[in-house]
Amino acid sequence: MCFLSADPELVVMTFPHLSRSLTGLIAGSAPVFHHRAFSVTAVAAAIQKMTRVRVVDNSSLGNTPHHRPPRVIHVYTKNGVGKVGDTVLLAIKGQKKKALIVGHKMPGDRMTPRFDSNNVVLIENNGNPTGTRIKVPIPTHLRKLEGDYSKVLAIACSFV
Amino acid sequence: MSVFNSCNKLVSTVFKGSVLLRDTGVFRGVCSINRHQCHSLRLPRHLTLTSASCLQRPHVFTCHVDSRRCYSEVFGERQEESPETNSHSTSHSQKTSNSFTLDVLVSLLRQENAVDMCVIKVPDQIKYAEYFIVVSGVSPRHLRAMALYAVKVYKFLKKDGDPNVRIEGKDTDEWMCIDFGKIVVHFMLPETRDEYELEKLWTLRNYDEQLRSIPAEKLPEDFIYDVDVTK
Repeated sequence: MCFLSADPELVVMTFPHLSRSLTGLIAGSAPVFHHRAFSVTAVAAAIQKMTRVRVVDNSSLGNTPHHRPPRVIHVYTKNGVGKVGDTVLLAIKGQKKKALIVGHKMPGDRMTPRFDSNNVVLIENNGNPTGTRIKVPIPTHLRKLEGDYSKVLAIACSFV
Repeated sequence: MSVFNSCNKLVSTVFKGSVLLRDTGVFRGVCSINRHQCHSLRLPRHLTLTSASCLQRPHVFTCHVDSRRCYSEVFGERQEESPETNSHSTSHSQKTSNSFTLDVLVSLLRQENAVDMCVIKVPDQIKYAEYFIVVSGVSPRHLRAMALYAVKVYKFLKKDGDPNVRIEGKDTDEWMCIDFGKIVVHFMLPETRDEYELEKLWTLRNYDEQLRSIPAEKLPEDFIYDVDVTK
């Protein structure tokens, strides 16, 4: 409540980590970007339960807007960590749907691509992809992994 | 034993001189999809068909239809006489019987009465496979039989260093897939084939209609760039 009339500089000083994010929102001030000399990212973990994911195919289930983002509720691996090529169970629009991980923010093996979002492709229970095209680049090392990935690679439009 | 006999018979049919028939079969398969977008190629007179189909666009890739190979083969066979073709074919069959090539796969699919076979040559820029084959079948049982026969022939013809090949989608009944390294084969029912339209995607790479109909992604209004916080 009290921020409405506060001096923007004062707010920025007390909450230094908000220096970039809130400057645009405080009324009457221009965004102030404090540029670093190096890039930083948040701590990135692989995909596990309750991670929000991005559905990258053109299925209607993945693309219709919903008030909650799709979340992972189960990872089908021995440990609960999902990497590229693992199947997960998502909760989307109030229903459960299986999906295949095609990219995550966590760095993987050397010479494998790292993505800026946790990408996932919806899959039926029999392994057929729900959507028909994937616009986002798909890593080619999926081909060497053990599993049924040829169908997802067949509907992919670009490879990384 | 029976597998051996059937494989030998299969391999000898590759060079029995039915080149024209094979090409027309493949042309027909490709033409059914691309008819509205073709213009005719410069084909030899005896090979003109109603709709020759290779898309000639700068970054879109030609459907491989054995056309280049059939030029030399057809012209070569015209000049050979029958006693020579016999010796020619036996030496050829000895050479080809040792490796599982695209010819072997295409002829075995024709032998299995595959419906609407489409062989697409994948360009080198896409580092996926060299040839992409889409095949329809009459029923799920037909698809499964074709897939199992293809794997059987591959296992017979492979050498010791080659990896084994698995059938993906074995528990589905409408879409099965085999990845032979350089060749990828998809066995689908006609309804599934129309739904996914893989041939359109792999021939018109970025100009595909379904790709274009995907709306461009928009950022939400409250999106704040670079809000990642470090500890």
